[in-house]
Amino acid sequence: MKIIIAGDGEVGFYLAKLLEKEFQDITLIDKQRDKIASVENKLGIATVLGDSTSYKVLTGAGVQKADLLIAVTSAESTNITTCLIGKKLGAKFTIARINNMEYLVDKSTLDLRDLGIDELVSPESLAAREVKYLLKSPALTEVFNLYKQDLYMMGVRVEDDAPIINKSIAESAHLLTNSSFMIVAVLRNEKTLIPTGDLQILKGDLLYFATTDSGKDKVLEYAEKKPIHIKNVLVIGGSKTGKYIALRLSKLYNIKLIEKNLEKCNHLARHIPNVHFVCGDGADVGLLEEEKISDYDAVIAVTGSAETNIFSCLLAKDHGVKKTIAMVENIGLFDYSQKMGVDTLINKKMAAANFVFRHILKGRVLAQLYGINAEIQEFVVHKNSKIINIPIKELNFPEGAIISGVIRKGKGYITLGSFELKPDDRVFVFSMPQSTKEVVAFFK
Amino acid sequence: MIFRQIGGLLIILGFTMVVPLLVSLIYSEFYSAAGFLFSGLTCFLIGFLFYKNIKTTTEPLNRHALIIAALGWLSIAVMGALPFIIIAYITPAEVAQQFVPALADYQSSIFYFKNPLHAIFESMSGFTTTGLSMAVHVPTIGKGLIFYRSFTQLLGGAGFIVLTLAVLGQASGKIAYMLYGAESTGERLRPTIIQTTRSIWKIYIGITLFSFAYLVIGTYLILPEYNIAENIFDSINHAMAGQSTGGFSTLESSIASYNSKAMDMLYLLPMILGALSLPFYFKVLNDKQIFQFWKNLQTRSIILLSVFGSIILSFMLLKSGLVSEPFRKGIFQFVSALTTTGWQTSDIHIWGSSSVLFIVVVGMIVGGAAGATVGGVKIIRVLLLFKGLFWHINGYFYSDNSIKVVEFNEKRMLPDEMNRELAKVATFVFIYLIILLVGTLITYYNMIPVFSLKDALFESASALGTVGLSCGITNPNMSPVLEITYIVQMWAGRLEIIPILILFRTILFGSKPKVV
Repeated sequence: MKIIIAGDGEVGFYLAKLLEKEFQDITLIDKQRDKIASVENKLGIATVLGDSTSYKVLTGAGVQKADLLIAVTSAESTNITTCLIGKKLGAKFTIARINNMEYLVDKSTLDLRDLGIDELVSPESLAAREVKYLLKSPALTEVFNLYKQDLYMMGVRVEDDAPIINKSIAESAHLLTNSSFMIVAVLRNEKTLIPTGDLQILKGDLLYFATTDSGKDKVLEYAEKKPIHIKNVLVIGGSKTGKYIALRLSKLYNIKLIEKNLEKCNHLARHIPNVHFVCGDGADVGLLEEEKISDYDAVIAVTGSAETNIFSCLLAKDHGVKKTIAMVENIGLFDYSQKMGVDTLINKKMAAANFVFRHILKGRVLAQLYGINAEIQEFVVHKNSKIINIPIKELNFPEGAIISGVIRKGKGYITLGSFELKPDDRVFVFSMPQSTKEVVAFFK
Repeated sequence: MIFRQIGGLLIILGFTMVVPLLVSLIYSEFYSAAGFLFSGLTCFLIGFLFYKNIKTTTEPLNRHALIIAALGWLSIAVMGALPFIIIAYITPAEVAQQFVPALADYQSSIFYFKNPLHAIFESMSGFTTTGLSMAVHVPTIGKGLIFYRSFTQLLGGAGFIVLTLAVLGQASGKIAYMLYGAESTGERLRPTIIQTTRSIWKIYIGITLFSFAYLVIGTYLILPEYNIAENIFDSINHAMAGQSTGGFSTLESSIASYNSKAMDMLYLLPMILGALSLPFYFKVLNDKQIFQFWKNLQTRSIILLSVFGSIILSFMLLKSGLVSEPFRKGIFQFVSALTTTGWQTSDIHIWGSSSVLFIVVVGMIVGGAAGATVGGVKIIRVLLLFKGLFWHINGYFYSDNSIKVVEFNEKRMLPDEMNRELAKVATFVFIYLIILLVGTLITYYNMIPVFSLKDALFESASALGTVGLSCGITNPNMSPVLEITYIVQMWAGRLEIIPILILFRTILFGSKPKVV
C-alpha cells in the first residue's frame, strides 16, 4: 500500500511513524529542508521536498499510484488543494485536515466529498469530542468510541476498596453476566495484560472495558466508582482545541475559559456565547485561586505547553477538583503525568491518527490507546469461514488477543464466551502487537 | 460641493410637485394647480442652476455630508413652503370660501399661509413627518393643498436625501454612503448605496400601498354609507401620513372626525407598520422569514411597549377621571405618540399631569424603531442604555480579569465597543433631553396663560420627537419666537440633532479643527 503524507507537522510525523511500522511504502512531503532531513534520519522513509500543492511535487512523490493521500499541513487551504489535485492525479483515497468546522457540518452548501476529498479530519475537534465523552462519564480515565453510540472502549482505574480486588476475573464473573460489558485488558505497572479467567485484579490496576451504551454505568459499579456529577468546567487555554471545547460544551456545562493572550481572548469572547472568558496566565497560581479553581468540578488544560497543562491539572487536583484533563502532545510525558495524578490525558495527534487509521480500508488497525501497548483492530467475518456458529470460548483464539465486540446489522454486541460469530459480522479485536500476525491469520 | 448636492435635492422637489398639481386638476382647483406649477418650476430652476454651475472639486468628507443633510432639509422646508404662500396669495376669497361648509362661521384657513413663517412651519412639519399644523380647519384649504401636505410627509418619511440618491443615482460611492448615513441609520442592504436607497423606497411605497388598500376596505366595511370618493381620498392621504408616521389628516379634527370606535382601532395598524424599521422589512421580505417579527429586538420591543404602554396610560386616564372613554383614547393616543404619528382623538389639554408625563416620557421621547420614519430617541437607544446599566452593575460581580462581554441585538460586544456605543448613545440622548428642556422653557415663557408647564413640556416633546400631537399651543396666533423654536426642533429632531450642531459649528467657527 502506497501512502503519501503531506506536511511534516506533529500530526504528519506521528502518522508517518505509526504507518511506517505497518506498511512499506510511505512518502512524506514538506517544504522545509531541515524537517525533511530529520525525518529521513529518524524514520528512514522516502521524502520529497516542496510544496504539496504543486503538480510536479505530487507527481514526484508518486501520487499516480498512491492508495492514500493524507494532507495534514497546518494550513487548511493547502490541505484541500493538495487533496483535490492529488485525486485528479490518481490518488485512490484522500484525507484532508481542516480547521473550519463549517466544512464538516454544513454539507448542503458544498460537500467536499463530491470534489474528491474522501475524508476530513480536524484533530482539535476530535480532541474536543473526546473531552465531551470524558466529561459525560468523568469517572473514566479514557473513553474511545468504537462504533457510533453503540460500542465504547473505556479505561477505568479500580477504586482501592472495590470488592473485585484481589479476586480473579472468574471469581467476579457473576457481576459480568448481563453481557453489556467485558474486560479486554489490564494495565499494571506499564505492562499490558490480556485477561484470562484466572487473572487477579490488584490495587491500582487500570482496567479496559468494551461496553455497550447501557453498560457504561454498570462498568462504574463493577469498579466501585462513585458517579461524579459535572456542572462547572474550567478550561485553561484558548487554543483551537479550547475553542472547540467551549463551543461544544457551552450548552451542557457552565464554562469558564482562561486565555493568556488578550487579543485571542477578546476574539473568542466575541464569538462564543454562554462562556465566561478570563484573560490571564493559566500557570499563575494567584490567578487560578482568584478565579476560584476549587469551585470547579473539572479542569481541562489545553494550552500549547504540556508542562503548563500538567501543572495546572496538578494544582487543580490539589484544590479538590474531581476531574482533571490535560492535553499533552509529548508522548514521553504520558507516564509521568499520569503517575503524578492527572486523571486523563488527551492528545490531538493520536486522536487524528486513530481517525485516519479507521479509514485505511484494508488496514485492520483501528486505534492505538494512550497508555497501553496494544491496538484495536477490525475484521469482517467471511461467509465460508470456519469460525462461524461456534461459541467463542471453543474457538482456538490466539493468545495475547481478545475478541471485544461485534457489530451485526448496525448494532453493537459484547462478546462473552458463549457468543457465536455470524457471516458479515464486524469484529473488534484487542491485541498485543506480538499477536497481530496470528490474529490476522485467524480471520483469513 | 455642498450646494451642488442641495441643487439635486431641489430638482427632485420641483419634480414631485407635479403630483399635487395633478390632484388639483382632478378636483378642478385651478388656482392651486397654478401655484404648484409655479413653485415646481422655481424649485427646479434654482436647483438646476446650483447643480449645473457648481463643480465638485474637493474630496468629500464626512462633515460635508452632515452639513448637506442639515442645509438640504432646511432649504427643502423653505422651498416646500412656496406652494402654501403662492396659493394663499393667488386664490381669490370667494373661491376659497367654496371649501368652507355652508353654515360655518369661519374663513378658509388658506389665508393663514400668507404669513411665510406659517407656511415654512407647515412645510417643515410636513417634511419632517411631524404633523403639527397651522391649518386650523383642514378641509378649508382645498384638496390640492391637503394632498400636498400628506405628500410631503411621504417624501420626508423615508428621507428626501435617500429619495434623491435613488432617483439621480449620480453620487459616487463614498459621498452616497456618507449622505445615506447622515440621514438614516446607514445600514447597507444591497451592495451599493444607490441600490439600497432604491430598495428602501420600493418597500416604503409598497407598505404605503398596502395601508391604502387596508384603509379603503376597512373604512368601507365600518362606515358603508361614507362617500366612496371621500373614502379613497382620505385613505390615500392617511396611508401616506401613517406610513411616514407624519400624522396630517384630511379631516376637521383628525381621526376623531369619524366618530367611530372601530375606525380608531382600524388606524392603529398603519401607525405601527410605520414605526417598524425599513431595513427590517427588507430582511423579512428578502429572507421570507415571518418569525422575524418576534425575533427582531426592535420590532418585538415596539409591539410589547405598544401593548403595555397603552394599558398603563388607559388606567392612568381612568384614574384621573378627566377623560371619557379612557381605554379608547388611551390606546389610540399612546400608539400615536410611541410611533410619533400624531393623529389625535382626545383633547390632551384636559388630561392630568401624570398621564401627560407618562405619554411624553414613555411614548414621545422613546419613539419607534431606528431605520423607520419615526422621531424620538428611537427605542433601540433606550434599550441599549438599559442594557448598559445592567451590564455596568453586573460588572462588579465578575473577577478582575474577566472579559465582560455584552450581547445586544444579536451582536456580542467587547467592553471597548460597548463603551463606545454607550458613549455615543448617551451623548445623543443627553443632548436630546437638553433641547427638549430648552424648548419647554421657551414654550413656557411664550404661551398664553391658559396652559401650564405640563402642556409646554408636551408640545415641545411633540415638536422635537416629530410626533405632532398638540394640546393647543400650536396655532396661527402663537408667538413667532415659539414658532421658530418649533421649526428648529422639528428640523433637529428629524436629523437626530448632530448634523444641525455641525452646521452651526461650521457657521460660527469655520471648518478648522479646534486644537488645544
